[in-house]
Amino acid sequence: MTALLNLDSIVAGYGAGDILKGVDLNVSEGDVTCLIGPNGAGKSTVLKAVSGLLRPKTGRVLFCGDDVTGLGPKAKLLRGIVHVPQDRSLFPAMTVWDNLLMAGYLKRDTKALKSRIDTVAGLFPIVVQRRTAHAGSLSGGEQKQVELARTLLFDPKLILLDEPSIGLDPKSRRLVFEAVGQLAADGRTVLLVEQNARSGLAASDRGVVLEAGMVRLTGTGQALLADPEVARLYLGAAARPVTTTTTPGGTE
Amino acid sequence: MHTIIQGVILGILTGGVYALMAGGQTLIFGIMKVVNLAQGAMVILSAYLSYTLFTSAGIDPFLAVLITTPAMFCLGVAVQWLFLRQLRREDAAELSILVTFAIALAVEGVLSVVYSTSYRSINASYANTSFTVGGYQVSAVRLYAFLLSVGVLGLLYLLLHRTRFGRAVRATVQNPEAARLLGVEPARIRALGFGLGTATAAAAGSVFGLIYPFNAGSHYDLISQLLSVVVLGGLGSLGGAVVAGVIIGVSSSVVAVAWSPTWSQFTFFVVLLAVLLIRPRGLFGTVLRGAL
Ligand SMILES: Nc1ncnc2c1ncn2[C@@H]1O[C@H](COP(=O)(O)OP(=O)(O)O)[C@@H](O)[C@H]1O
Ligand SMILES: [Mg+2]
Repeated sequence: MTALLNLDSIVAGYGAGDILKGVDLNVSEGDVTCLIGPNGAGKSTVLKAVSGLLRPKTGRVLFCGDDVTGLGPKAKLLRGIVHVPQDRSLFPAMTVWDNLLMAGYLKRDTKALKSRIDTVAGLFPIVVQRRTAHAGSLSGGEQKQVELARTLLFDPKLILLDEPSIGLDPKSRRLVFEAVGQLAADGRTVLLVEQNARSGLAASDRGVVLEAGMVRLTGTGQALLADPEVARLYLGAAARPVTTTTTPGGTE
Repeated sequence: MHTIIQGVILGILTGGVYALMAGGQTLIFGIMKVVNLAQGAMVILSAYLSYTLFTSAGIDPFLAVLITTPAMFCLGVAVQWLFLRQLRREDAAELSILVTFAIALAVEGVLSVVYSTSYRSINASYANTSFTVGGYQVSAVRLYAFLLSVGVLGLLYLLLHRTRFGRAVRATVQNPEAARLLGVEPARIRALGFGLGTATAAAAGSVFGLIYPFNAGSHYDLISQLLSVVVLGGLGSLGGAVVAGVIIGVSSSVVAVAWSPTWSQFTFFVVLLAVLLIRPRGLFGTVLRGAL
């Protein structure tokens, strides 16, 4: 497995202070990599530095071996990086259908887009069932499904998913993790930020622990789940083995 | 009763034109969170352009729209790019008031030098023509201006709702960061959106001189009326601006025919205050907020 994404000593922040203080991180092609860490550690900031919402002060972002450090979201999107941010990313007063069409803003091929919508609707039927509804009228879980469906329309090489299960009821959370599992099964490369560390790691091939803007630990998802230190700090209890199939939504 | 209905007809026709001018302004607010105090000056500038085309080339103001609108679109894009682009998002709303007021003063200054301060009006051959419909007088100029407004607002609606560019505009209004993540460049949308809002004002400005005499200072009255319409409709709501334009047009013209024209200007503010007491966000401020 080659590294699709490679962060090399990334320093980034929003003003004078640095939030990321030299982050090194590799994401292998075909892997789901889960980024965990306490609130405010800089997990979302890492994703912003990758998608181009935030320009790193120093360090390099390599994608497919190319230096893409200074590129903005549009250029990153054209290279196949799609970012689903932590905050809602639908347009609430637009219909579900118009929200999907926004995925075709850059590549104006409407015909290809519509045939992709048909494919994606197989995974997320809601996009056709509620196509004329205003996105803002959907429940949180439904909105997240539309966001994921819209993301797939790009046929992305790398998906940045920021806390997709936050604020959702258990049923919607399960759906989200099922969708992540489906992405993994399709061989998509995902960098997932998850507050719910147990479910996140269980759904992932690899895990990375970020603390105060630095990478503390990396390992396979299973290894981190079994790590007593990780368990104490992030899993809320002693380590207990968890598998994707039995408790995908997490129970705590 | 007859005079009241006559006033309502006149008010609807006038209200349509207000809706057009205010529609451009509310569009700009929706996209940029900029309170554009130069909107009135842009209307007057367009009125002078149309006046010049009429007096020196004999071009009818309704045809001149085809020239003034694209010209003012370009001016709007340039103004945004030069003066408003640098404003940071956090304080754009407040600083833009100063910047756009300065732009209004600059436009006024240039116009009063070029055209002096005497009042102008465009006297087309049909200026005094009117139709009689069921016993009521309908002025041709006002009817045509109303139809123009409906047409331009309709085009604006189609542009926003049926085109790729329009979707990107609405997306930027509703969730700028998410729009960026889908490849929309907000700087581009803001410049084009400001151009669009200015062009909308220009369409109304082109025929303004057929209805009202104007000079360079006319934009003060105009901007206070436009702000009333925009705030009444709910900042950023295009549908709200249309409804508010008609409400204000009708109430001020009914007051003018029923009592006295002196009071009609005052009606703007009375209606505005009355509505704001009940709905502080304006008529559509909560329902259609961000909906454009
Ligand atoms: N837009 C912003 N402007 C200024 N500071 C920010 C901004 N976004 C996040 N921060 C700060 O950066 C730090 C890391 O935030 P974030 O990356 O969102 O953390 P996490 O996703 O790990 O919870 C926090 O202290 C937060 O307050
Ligand atoms: Mg976060």
